[in-house]
Amino acid sequence: MAEGGRQHRILVVEDEDNIALALNYLMMREGYQHDRVANGAEALPRIRETHPDLVLLDVMLPEVSGYEICQSVRLDPALADVKILMMTARGSTIERQKGLALGADGFISKPFELKELRTEVRRLLTGEG
Amino acid sequence: MLHKLSLRLRIFLIFAGLALGALAGLAGGLVFGYRQLGTPETLNAFVQVGMLAGLVVLGLVTWVWYLFDLNVAKPIDILSGALRARAHSDVSGEMDAALARYLGDLAPAATAAAASLSETRNALAEAVARETTRLSAEKARLEALLSDVPVGVLLCSADHQLAFYNGTAADMLGGAGAPGLDRRLFDYLHDGPLRHAHQRLQEAGDPDAASDILCTTRSGARVLAGRMRLLEAGGYVLTLRDVTADLAQLSRREALLAETFDRIRRPAANLGTLFAVLPEGEALPPQMERALRDEVERLGAAVTELTRRHDEGRAEAVPLAPIRASDLVDGIAARLEAQDLSVHVGEVAPLLLRCNGFEIVGLAGRLGAALAEARGLRAFTLALTERGADARITLGWQGEALPVGQLEHWLDQPLEDGLPDTTGRSVLAAHATEIWPEGRPGQQAVVLPLRAARRAGPRPAPVARAVVYDFDLLSKARNAAVSDTRLEDLTYVVFDTETTGLLPAQGDEIVQIAAVRIVNGKRVAAEVFDTLVNPGRPIPPASTTVHGITDAMVAGAPGIAEVARAFHAFADGAVLVAHNAPFDLEFLRRKEGVTGVRFDNPVLDTVLLSAVIFGQHEVHSLDALTHRLDITIPEEARHTAIGDTVATADAFLKLMPMLRGRGLTSFGEVVAEVRRHGRLLRDMN
Repeated sequence: MAEGGRQHRILVVEDEDNIALALNYLMMREGYQHDRVANGAEALPRIRETHPDLVLLDVMLPEVSGYEICQSVRLDPALADVKILMMTARGSTIERQKGLALGADGFISKPFELKELRTEVRRLLTGEG
Repeated sequence: MLHKLSLRLRIFLIFAGLALGALAGLAGGLVFGYRQLGTPETLNAFVQVGMLAGLVVLGLVTWVWYLFDLNVAKPIDILSGALRARAHSDVSGEMDAALARYLGDLAPAATAAAASLSETRNALAEAVARETTRLSAEKARLEALLSDVPVGVLLCSADHQLAFYNGTAADMLGGAGAPGLDRRLFDYLHDGPLRHAHQRLQEAGDPDAASDILCTTRSGARVLAGRMRLLEAGGYVLTLRDVTADLAQLSRREALLAETFDRIRRPAANLGTLFAVLPEGEALPPQMERALRDEVERLGAAVTELTRRHDEGRAEAVPLAPIRASDLVDGIAARLEAQDLSVHVGEVAPLLLRCNGFEIVGLAGRLGAALAEARGLRAFTLALTERGADARITLGWQGEALPVGQLEHWLDQPLEDGLPDTTGRSVLAAHATEIWPEGRPGQQAVVLPLRAARRAGPRPAPVARAVVYDFDLLSKARNAAVSDTRLEDLTYVVFDTETTGLLPAQGDEIVQIAAVRIVNGKRVAAEVFDTLVNPGRPIPPASTTVHGITDAMVAGAPGIAEVARAFHAFADGAVLVAHNAPFDLEFLRRKEGVTGVRFDNPVLDTVLLSAVIFGQHEVHSLDALTHRLDITIPEEARHTAIGDTVATADAFLKLMPMLRGRGLTSFGEVVAEVRRHGRLLRDMN
């Protein structure tokens, strides 16, 4: 949960409402402070503005793809400590390679098991990755 | 009677008659004058006048005859001889017009006629030569075409014997043994579907009808999709495509699809039922909740696993021939350089890649052009590295990072004008891959992973993918009994062996066997059997001196059992021919217990055939025989099994027409004649 007296802040970038609902519920139960963006174009301004600890980033987004957002975050030195966990419904080996090459800290394919997601989020937030 | 004599003799006789007539007239006139005068003392004067006038007449006639003979009769003879020579053979020199200067225009006219004849003949010869060259060039082009088409092409006679096959067909049918002319098609393919299709086409009676079939090879169980079409001349064309891998892949995909439906339908149905029975707005009974969670978990696991398997299969399914990484990189570099961009090629891993080279080169070229246009870049680096089971093409430059959005936008553009359906995106999809920018400040790149087929070894030697054919086989009439068959209608396998020594009874063994096939009176250049044999014992140095085969050379060679079986298959249905056949056959027949194959083919021995043609008192060594027949064995080929085999085959081909000249046309007649020479060597038949 909160470490060093501070709540971790997580931004969910996901256009599918049902999944976003589930993710928000999970983040709340895990005790993270969370926020959600449904559109790719809004994601980067929101990240700059709120500077979250972790972005749960879907690949397929309207307007701007997850890959682009990921690359833009990594190209901005001010956002160097923002962790990115990418999520995709396809998730082939090649896509995983592409995501990691573009600077994602983790890559998880849908449908994922909650345990897997929870472990991955904790790993990234405690800085073991 | 008279006109059967020669021209000059006839003219001589005419002049002789003239002289005789003049002399007779003169004598008659003198006798008459003497009687009228009635004075006996004038007799001497009359006789003297008669003698003188007779001599003058004789002299004149002789002189005129001589001139006539020299200037008319003789030149006419020479002229007619010269004309005849020009008419019947290829003599084409100038005719000597001075010879016949007293014959008026005859000589110039004859010269003109001869010149025109020679011109016509030259023009005809030129036309024939031109046409022959054109035809052989056309033939070579067709051969090249057919040898390189990726489908197997076969021509068979109506009784299913091979008359033509290309290299691809040879590869498909190969296995137990490479196919050969005049072999039965059913030695290589299961006959059921082929016989059925052939019968169907014959009954249809439509010359344009074709029949599609699916057949399997006798060895290796390959599945071939084929199409059969009857030929007007009898027989049929069969085109074959190897669909073994396609079918296997199709069935794997079908199985995966069926499994996918099954494993998704069940949890989906269960979930639907569970939710349908739940009253809305009420809390879940704990049992139902566990059931729901179970079903969701099953569904999620199934989708994840099936997607992974489909993903793996998709990369495998890319139906592309492997290309060399270095060739691909060269192609990309050339494309970029053609766009006035400089390319520095770095590391290229020695891999074979499964990709469509044209599309990948096009994609890389398009990206290079787009980068050059958007960024003003002129210099690139290019590398191809190995990464796990994949290869990565890296196109690098110095400068700013490339935004993914821009790259994705470029991927949506057609690669080339006029090909709107081929975009970067479609190329990536066809290769089941992705592309992305990568880099650190200053040094940027786009990375394109490709599936590597395998590590590339050294380039293999080019395989002779010749087409092999003899169209006369299509119309060949077959006789059942070998002994009644005409010599040129039989198929022969001419062979030779090299051995550890000359005494098979004392443990000498074969170290090399070579053989060639003669079909329809021609040696088939592409059908050669040539292999070393491990004799299972040391080769004495004295034998190595003769044939140059050392223990080291045969160490890795197959043993006699394996080679004899392969040779037996090669010689199946053929007459065996060898120079001193009993020697070679003795080695093979002593091993029948080990090899399990019997060489019961009919046999001809060129030593005996030489004895039939040239008589028993000549020398019948291979050197002497080939020398007599004007066949040269290259020095380096002498005493190699294949060199001696080819020489024996060529000698046999030259002996065949000579046997025919002796009235020995059938195999039986030749064998009967050979038996009479059997004292020289034991006849193996």
